[in-house]
Amino acid sequence: MPSEYEALVAALKLTDIPFAEYAWRSRPEGTYGVVSLDFESEQLEGDGVKCDRAWSASVDVFFSRLSERDDLISTVEEILTEICGDSWELNSTQYENSTGLFHIEWVCTVQDGGDA
Amino acid sequence: MAMTAKIEGMEDISEMLTALEEEAQKAAAAGLYDGAGVMADELEKGVESIKTAPFKYTKFGQRLPSPEEKEAIKGAIGVAKFDRNGTEVNTSVGFGNAGYADVAGKQKAVAQVANAINSGTSFMTKQPFFRRGASAGAKAAEAAIIKTIEQRLDEKNLK
Repeated sequence: MPSEYEALVAALKLTDIPFAEYAWRSRPEGTYGVVSLDFESEQLEGDGVKCDRAWSASVDVFFSRLSERDDLISTVEEILTEICGDSWELNSTQYENSTGLFHIEWVCTVQDGGDA
Repeated sequence: MAMTAKIEGMEDISEMLTALEEEAQKAAAAGLYDGAGVMADELEKGVESIKTAPFKYTKFGQRLPSPEEKEAIKGAIGVAKFDRNGTEVNTSVGFGNAGYADVAGKQKAVAQVANAINSGTSFMTKQPFFRRGASAGAKAAEAAIIKTIEQRLDEKNLK
């Protein structure tokens, strides 16, 4: 497990947002999050030699009240910046008609053996 | 006496540079066409890898995409019209122009179905087939672009 991903999970679980890894067994009421290590994304190369590994991870937050949005975004993005530096981006924002939930997804690149 | 140096033949040089720019744009477009094809193939492999299960309504749990949802996005990846600006040529590969498909009797936007599978929803665990395909295809697409451009420039003795 990449150490930066472990640090990301630990930091997200310390927030006020309930976070689960990969999926919730049963969907919680109210605001919640999911964090996943998705796939090995790319190789960081030096002089044509594979010298490090990188994975793509994602953080998803589901919420129903728009008034919560700004606080949720700053909470998650501060953690992403602290752990991943510049290697993250807001990937998608969606609204689910059937559940009335807003869904924000960030993707980031995590490595093993970083400073985290 | 004014000191001037007359340079002749600028018209010829200008024509040559214009021709060179046209060739460069053609080479870039040909390269991009091949690269976009490689990327589209890689993304289509991602679609093939999507796990499905027959649709089942679950009040609080998670479900997999239905076979109908997978079928709706299969073969729907396309390459956008090339945007040309001088020697710069851009395009994108994805579901942008995929339109609508019938999913279990309902018309759904193909891009929206693809996005729900790729990013997940509150009732469907994500399967990031698109991000994985784009990541895996990036280097192969870049290599295809460079190879085609080099071949084109070789053919025209412009290298």
